[in-house]
Amino acid sequence: MRRMTLLMTIILAGALTLSLQAAEAQAANVEEIKFDLVGHTMGGREKSWKFQSVEQIKELVIKDIHMTEDGKARICTIALRLQASRKTGKYAAEARVEYARTAKGWRIKHIGLLSLEKIE
Amino acid sequence: MNPKRVVGALLLSLLLCGCERKQPELGEPLANLTPEQRAQFQEGKTVFQRVFVPEDGLGPLFNSVSCAECHEHPVLGGAGDEVEVHATRFVAPDDCDPLFQEGGPVIQQDATPLLRARGIEKEQIPASATQQARRSTPPLFGFGLVDAIPQATILSHEDPDDANRDGIFGRANRAIDGRVGRFGRKAAVATLFDFNAGAFPDEQGVTTPLSPVENTIDGKPLPPETDPAPDPEITVEDIEKVTAFTNFLAPPPPQRFKKREDRTLAKRGQKLFIELKCAVCHVPEMKTGPSPIKPLNRKTVALYSDLLLHDMGPDLADICLNLAHPSEFRTELLMGLRVREQFLHDGSAATVREAIERHGGEASRSRDGFKALSDKDKEALLKFLQSI
Repeated sequence: MRRMTLLMTIILAGALTLSLQAAEAQAANVEEIKFDLVGHTMGGREKSWKFQSVEQIKELVIKDIHMTEDGKARICTIALRLQASRKTGKYAAEARVEYARTAKGWRIKHIGLLSLEKIE
Repeated sequence: MNPKRVVGALLLSLLLCGCERKQPELGEPLANLTPEQRAQFQEGKTVFQRVFVPEDGLGPLFNSVSCAECHEHPVLGGAGDEVEVHATRFVAPDDCDPLFQEGGPVIQQDATPLLRARGIEKEQIPASATQQARRSTPPLFGFGLVDAIPQATILSHEDPDDANRDGIFGRANRAIDGRVGRFGRKAAVATLFDFNAGAFPDEQGVTTPLSPVENTIDGKPLPPETDPAPDPEITVEDIEKVTAFTNFLAPPPPQRFKKREDRTLAKRGQKLFIELKCAVCHVPEMKTGPSPIKPLNRKTVALYSDLLLHDMGPDLADICLNLAHPSEFRTELLMGLRVREQFLHDGSAATVREAIERHGGEASRSRDGFKALSDKDKEALLKFLQSI
């Protein structure tokens, strides 16, 4: 019985460590993507959003990351909460970020705006 | 006078005459572009004229099959007689929703045969819209120069609290991301590139890498098998090419009247334009900022606008857009006014005179001043407007 309890404890601790590491990795990814977005524009006309600073990105959730079959591009689907100022309002957006492999590492090729809605 | 000096002066004047470049005609590129930039202008012109069909990206909902279908009068890049429909939701005092998720603010008025076969002939006004608007097609001449005006220059004309007590306010609109707006009748778009990037999906239903999914139909996804072209339907390079075309499209050359009496009349009109305070909003000139493109670098552009929002009164009010209230409009650019055939933001005025007489709000005093002018002075003011 004691052995069983010990084994369970070890398994739980391992799972917790792994999920914490995954969460840390996710958080690091989120921060990295936020920085990568700055300077890029998605959408067009009234729906244009140029990421001018990390502070405009109030929330970023990674919904999916995958590589293309040829390994030359990495596609991230993200959900965003964006706000430039109190006057201009808050927006919920979903975007597809396409990274291309370059000599200097992964660089954003373009950001496709999938959906946009004013929420406040 | 010393004969040597006379000869020198003559030679100098001959040299100056020879150096003076002919001003580009309507539809031509800016003078002094490099050969590479001229080639970009031509490439962009080709994309601007490209006629889309459903198989290569048109629709399923759309307003026009090409940029050139609307921007055509009197030459490519000019105005058009098409009037489109926009709709948004406004809740006083300040809440404006462009209704992106319901298909706003541009409501497409046409559909491809595959969509029509499903009984959908156009997009409907969103159910939650509170206002709708009609929008005419503006000429694009000189827009590259407008794009190159620094934000600070636009903001320097703001007078949101009417500090000088002239009854004219003026405030900048902002794009949703906070940048100063300047393009569109409500100045809700910050740059020419942004405008062009959105014109493809909004006007032609053509997806781009920046807008890679088709617009919804009244907020709902497209019915299956109504969009035969794979997304995105054009490249970012295509948007850049069209932006080069619009960026390098020269402003209209000033009209030089041949008859002396016309010139005198226009000069009198110019004076009245200032006296009636039309020029407070229709600012005659602004200067572009530093640009790597020589003909856009620190140039004076005779746009006749402050690019700011002004209250035009309840009779002209339509939709809100970002910070712009329903009755607020960006001061219309008068650059190229003489090539237009319909006036005001919705093309509802048949003449310039009618457009002036329908100004309201902050422009009421100037409008009343115009109405009080003698017939001869009215003629003079209208003659001046024909020259710009």
